[in-house]
Amino acid sequence: MTDEILYDLRGVSKSFVKGKERITVFDGLDMSIKKGDFLAIMGPSGSGKTTLLNILGGVDQPTDGEVWFDDERVDTLSENELARWRANNIGFIFQFYNLMPMLNAARNVELPLLLTNLSKKHRKQSVETALELVDLADRAKHMPSEMSGGQQQRVAIARAIVSDPKLLLCDEPTGDLDRETADEILEMLQLLNREFGKTIVMVTHDPQAAKYAKRTLHLDKGTFVEKDLAA
Amino acid sequence: MSGIFSQIKAVVMMNVRSLPRRLWMSLAAIFAVSVVVAVLLSFLSMARGFQQTLEGTGSEDVAIVTRSGSRSELNSSLSRETANIISTAPGIAQDGKGDPIYSAELYVIVDGIKRASQTEANLPMRGISVEGFDLRDQVSITEGRVFIPGNNEIIVGEGVLREFDGFELGKKIRFGKTEWEVVGVFSTGGSAFESELWADARTVQTQFQRGGFQTVRVRLAETGNVSGLIQMVEQDPRLILDVETEADYFAEQGEALGAIVIIGWIISGVMALGSLAGALNTMYTSVSSRAVEIATLRALGFSNFSAFVGTLAESIVLSVVGGVLGALISFGFMDGLSASTMGASFTQVVFTFELTPELFQDGIFLALLIGVIGGFFPAWRAARLPVAIAFQRGN
Amino acid sequence: MSDLFLIYKNLTRKPLRLFLTVFATFIAFLIYGTITGFQNALDSGVELSADDRLVTVNKINFTQPLPISYVNKVKAIEGVQGVVHMNWFGGYYQDPSQFLQTFAVDEKAFLEVYDEITLTEEETKAWLQNNQAIIVGDTSAEKYGWKVGDRIPVGSNIFSQADGSSVWDFDIVGIYKGRDRQTDTTSVYIHYKYFNETQSFGGNYIGWMGVRTVDPKLNEQVIKRIDDMFVNSPFETETVPEKAFQKAFIAQIGNIGLILTSVVAAAFFIILVIVGNSMVLSVRERTAEIGVMKTLGFRSGRIFRLVLGESVLLALVGGGLGIFASLFAMAAINQSPTPLPDMLLDSAAVQTAFAYAAILGLVTGIIPAISALRLNIITALTRA
Repeated sequence: MTDEILYDLRGVSKSFVKGKERITVFDGLDMSIKKGDFLAIMGPSGSGKTTLLNILGGVDQPTDGEVWFDDERVDTLSENELARWRANNIGFIFQFYNLMPMLNAARNVELPLLLTNLSKKHRKQSVETALELVDLADRAKHMPSEMSGGQQQRVAIARAIVSDPKLLLCDEPTGDLDRETADEILEMLQLLNREFGKTIVMVTHDPQAAKYAKRTLHLDKGTFVEKDLAA
Repeated sequence: MSGIFSQIKAVVMMNVRSLPRRLWMSLAAIFAVSVVVAVLLSFLSMARGFQQTLEGTGSEDVAIVTRSGSRSELNSSLSRETANIISTAPGIAQDGKGDPIYSAELYVIVDGIKRASQTEANLPMRGISVEGFDLRDQVSITEGRVFIPGNNEIIVGEGVLREFDGFELGKKIRFGKTEWEVVGVFSTGGSAFESELWADARTVQTQFQRGGFQTVRVRLAETGNVSGLIQMVEQDPRLILDVETEADYFAEQGEALGAIVIIGWIISGVMALGSLAGALNTMYTSVSSRAVEIATLRALGFSNFSAFVGTLAESIVLSVVGGVLGALISFGFMDGLSASTMGASFTQVVFTFELTPELFQDGIFLALLIGVIGGFFPAWRAARLPVAIAFQRGN
Repeated sequence: MSDLFLIYKNLTRKPLRLFLTVFATFIAFLIYGTITGFQNALDSGVELSADDRLVTVNKINFTQPLPISYVNKVKAIEGVQGVVHMNWFGGYYQDPSQFLQTFAVDEKAFLEVYDEITLTEEETKAWLQNNQAIIVGDTSAEKYGWKVGDRIPVGSNIFSQADGSSVWDFDIVGIYKGRDRQTDTTSVYIHYKYFNETQSFGGNYIGWMGVRTVDPKLNEQVIKRIDDMFVNSPFETETVPEKAFQKAFIAQIGNIGLILTSVVAAAFFIILVIVGNSMVLSVRERTAEIGVMKTLGFRSGRIFRLVLGESVLLALVGGGLGIFASLFAMAAINQSPTPLPDMLLDSAAVQTAFAYAAILGLVTGIIPAISALRLNIITALTRA
């Protein structure tokens, strides 16, 4: 694998049994993601985009094919190994933020760091840096219930990047936000991509959101239709 | 919405019908209450059974005479002379021949092996003449025959047979150096006398080396009237005696029961607090899990009073079901259970647990109490839920 | 932030629910602690019985008398260190219903055989010298406000004097303490000689004998020797170790152990049901969060431990508070005069209580912990 490619899906198939039917989501899908890429994946419901994101995140396993991440095979890892792999490499951003309601912003951001061996001091520093990056340093002690949707999403982003993962996976990150806030979030993602070289894969149904990405892939019934966008 | 009552009825129905959705939480509350009620009723039925036995013993028609201050048959002692004097007192009923109806009796303690624990316990042996049988209501020989005066023979009460080993008909028993034979079994209608062994008074005197008696019982000419006897005792300085009706005497013996009842209520009361916590937890959860539903009803126009009653009703239904379950458990295990414990005189009194309708009421009362208190505050919360919740998505 | 912190934060999400479940646990352990203390008090009579002491009673029943001539015969038996004869006086104070445990004893032998009775030298001297002396335990002394030097009337339910009175007067020469906190100090003791000379029944009878052996290992042999000596006499004896005698006496009241255990079991069952249910519910409400934790990289095993940690912490806190409260309750009960020895929990009992709390914590948390362990991330996040 060249230094350029971060993620490589080879001949990935995914199907599952529902009742008496066997439903095929992908059949022999190939996909490459380069380092520093900002990829948007769009498609109607049922196209398999969520399943794809789950496979990319190691949350779901393909029924056939190979999944290569940075020279390492991911689809053969055990559950515990996958947990460790995710902690080291992946940052998730969800549509409904999924912050822990009983922890304040700083502690929510600190959560992934509990999986490392960093000292308390280091953890504090990393949290501060991440919160500053998303411009929420002054709200470190606030609870999620005290913040707007946009602010919560920014905390979620801070949490996603605090352990410096190689890949950010975003599932409809702006789905619950108004236009203005959505743009703020998307600009932040762009910043992370351009200034900090974070590779980002974003699943979205919003064409406006997709414009922020470098390229967009359209998924329909398990296959890609690629559309390039001018950067 | 028509009328407050149909509102309430509708809400109560909905609440109760929705219980299966919250099955485990509801079951938790039911079980918690059932346990408390079962414990309470076990204690109370124990006390009740004990009380019944003692109350059934002792008649208003019979007076019992003991040495002053002895407080129990065991401690008392009366000489033959004294017994004779007592028999001449006014107020004693007479038999067909014009003789006073009285019985001079001995009361000694022997050892018996308790069936349940296989340990030794004190058994009372009463030295009594056959005439003395007349002074007990309903004595009947249910197996075998009565002892022959002068022989080393005993008859055993049915209670003794139930609770002790080795007193079956025909068995021979040693008390000290003497061997006695069980020749009969008697019943006295469930009273404490069934916890005794009876033998001929003379024989007991000889074998236990006693010259006199412990007590004298007389049949009163007039029910409950011991004044004749008391007068005679007061006037004669030789007679240092206590006289009372047998009924009063046994009533005093049962004073320890008060303790059992109090302890029963205290323990159950404390446990009930624990159950109450459970009931509150269940109801608060019920209200919060149905918040949207309740708010929607309110939005539709149901009054908050109906929401209040609906939730309260739910709590009461759960608790009463728990209470009935607890009562049934207690009934199944306890009612009719035979046991014996140490009574006054350090002797065993055999009794059976009795779960009466009054006790059942006590149990349901406790369950209701838990249900009402456990439901009140959550019901209040249900009544005051902001209707706006009905319009929110997800929770 | 640590795992313990996360556990704490999860427990305190719904303060009312936490309070109710802790309270239920508290109640159960309050009951457990008090009942264990009560059981301990009952057993103390047995526990504190000396290993090297036997009780010899009339074989028919301990209420039947023995002749006093037996005492010297038993003293002469090999293996016997000391013998004291005792009689049940059937005592009461002021009112025939106010029972006072009174024993008429051989005054010298008594202190030798029952050496847990502690008196000062002065008190001992006065006890031995004064025929009408009475020594009273500090519990009874406190109850009735007695002081050394008081002359008190003690009545008998059984015996009377030649003049027909059944009340005797005695001089309190000493207030004895027990060697151990739970030694009985409600009983009072008088001289046998004075009692026997003045009671109207006549005859030289005793109630039973307390026998001290040279070595507990010789108990069996001494028992046999004593009982064999009086076999086939008009007064056959039955000798048992003091422990056994005490145990049998308690057993006469009934199977108290069974009743107490059942009550405690019932209390624990309530917790299990209430707290267990609460934990299941609480974890179910957090399905999405658990899913997120797993996506972040938290291993299933760690999450399992976090959930179990919650239920165990809850149980330890509630249980600890309950035990603590039971100590108070028992101290209060001990203050009022009861015929029972002091109720208490020793350190072993407290440790056992905490162990039970931990076990209950594990049992109430195991089901939700396992479901959290097994929770599939996709299912968890879609359920949200």
